[in-house]
Amino acid sequence: MNRQTKEIIIKYIFFLFALVSVIVLGLIVFSLFREGLPIFGKVSVKDFIFGMEWYPTYDPPSFGIFPLIVGSLIVTLLATVIAVPLGVMAAIYIAEIAPQAIKEILKSVIELLAGLPSVVLGFFGMVIVAPWLQDTFDLPTGLNIVNASVILALMAIPTISSISEDALYAVPREYKEASYALGATKFETIVQVILPAAMSGISTAVMLGMARAIGETMVVLMVAGGAAAIPESLFDSVRPMPASIAAEMGEAPFRSGHYQALFAIGIVLFFLTLFFNLFADYVSHKFRQIGSGTL
Amino acid sequence: METNTIIKLKDVNFYYGQSRALTDISMTFGKNKVTALIGPSGCGKSTLLRLLNRMNDLIDGTRVEGEILFEDKNIYAPDIDPVEIRRKIGMVFQKPNPFPKTIYNNIAYGPKLTGVKAGDLDALVEQSLKQSVLWDEVKDILNKSAMNLSGGQQQRLCIARALAMKPDILLMDEPTSALDPISTAKIEELIEELKKHYTIIIVTHNMQQAARISDETAFFYIGNLVEYNKTEKIFTKPDVKQTEDYITGRFG
Repeated sequence: MNRQTKEIIIKYIFFLFALVSVIVLGLIVFSLFREGLPIFGKVSVKDFIFGMEWYPTYDPPSFGIFPLIVGSLIVTLLATVIAVPLGVMAAIYIAEIAPQAIKEILKSVIELLAGLPSVVLGFFGMVIVAPWLQDTFDLPTGLNIVNASVILALMAIPTISSISEDALYAVPREYKEASYALGATKFETIVQVILPAAMSGISTAVMLGMARAIGETMVVLMVAGGAAAIPESLFDSVRPMPASIAAEMGEAPFRSGHYQALFAIGIVLFFLTLFFNLFADYVSHKFRQIGSGTL
Repeated sequence: METNTIIKLKDVNFYYGQSRALTDISMTFGKNKVTALIGPSGCGKSTLLRLLNRMNDLIDGTRVEGEILFEDKNIYAPDIDPVEIRRKIGMVFQKPNPFPKTIYNNIAYGPKLTGVKAGDLDALVEQSLKQSVLWDEVKDILNKSAMNLSGGQQQRLCIARALAMKPDILLMDEPTSALDPISTAKIEELIEELKKHYTIIIVTHNMQQAARISDETAFFYIGNLVEYNKTEKIFTKPDVKQTEDYITGRFG
């Protein structure tokens, strides 16, 4: 076998390996749709998505997932509101302000936070945060939106902080020097030059952090409370979509309406996370600068 | 050398960590003069330039000994705010480095920090761009990104940006080394014009450039000031053999 043939064979072997993940993704999406789509023979898309009642085991069953969607969105939004300032500020501190020694420590601690299994965080929410919330605010249960959002925020912070940090490092040194040379202080330079230049990367970080939060299952299963109703206050329990799937799949009879509805929730989740990722991609291209300022 | 001194260095030593980058530099810079700093790479000329507006403060582990007097005050005295120094001593860098903002906002950035009122900004932007001979090229695109300009235009924008602070001194660190010959010629013309109102200290690797535009020339070699005199003298009858060798291209 000559050298060129070998090169070609090697090239195709790598192509095959690269193809595996694409094929697997394709198969997963296919089975998701095959198992989930039949539900729309029993209930219309509109009634499924905007239906207010999720009673999948009643007779007749009711497959309205609007409360689940609202539950997912509200914990994700609140988690984002908590995590973005914390994550971005931490990134600014690490990238621009902290002395070398503190920087190293902070970075590893944040990485450690990312490495915590979600079930451990969920456990923390159940036995520490929940009783504290319950006692402090005199609530019927501490397993609610606030609790789930705080724990999800903890999970999103490492994503947001580390991607934002990379974006900040990518800001050309020349911009900072130009700013300092004009008599700007460190704070003015960070706010007016570095942050705007890093904005595309930071927006991507936020989107990916949200995608992480909306798909997270274990935490919301453990600490969101599990009530499939539209919440009226931030201290109400909710049942986000992943929690529903995880909690109910075990008891749903194979290919029953309930089973198909859970797969259909999976389809909705799939589109939501897809949207977040596409949007993150769009944002990072949209705000990309031209010329030497390219991030 | 000259009666009208604006900056005076007294026995300045400068260290990056343990290594000494400048050794016992004593010299004065004349007001409204163009002074060129020349010498082979690594000779400390850029380091010296960045000492004059305290830009070296931004690098960890650096240390200054001696005094640098600007308006008779040591700019490294503990009660001096480097931010104030940088507002009076502007800088133009080797690579054009406009902010990824509009042309207008590039110029307005510095003045806004010092509290120039919004009503006065338009006039200041126009004046600065006219001073740097860029106004006619950009007056209709002030709200476009500065990143769309050519390299030479960007560098003149950076000069305008520095001028908008109304500095006393303009430091230029090889301002034309990233530019084509035509843009370089424009910048050199501009320097001729600016020296009527400003003190200019320029680092350059281009001997002809130093000869063309400067009044005084200082030759540095491995952190030492070897020779400092009128440009004409340095380029025709240098006192030191090393200077002659460098200028005639025998080393460097």
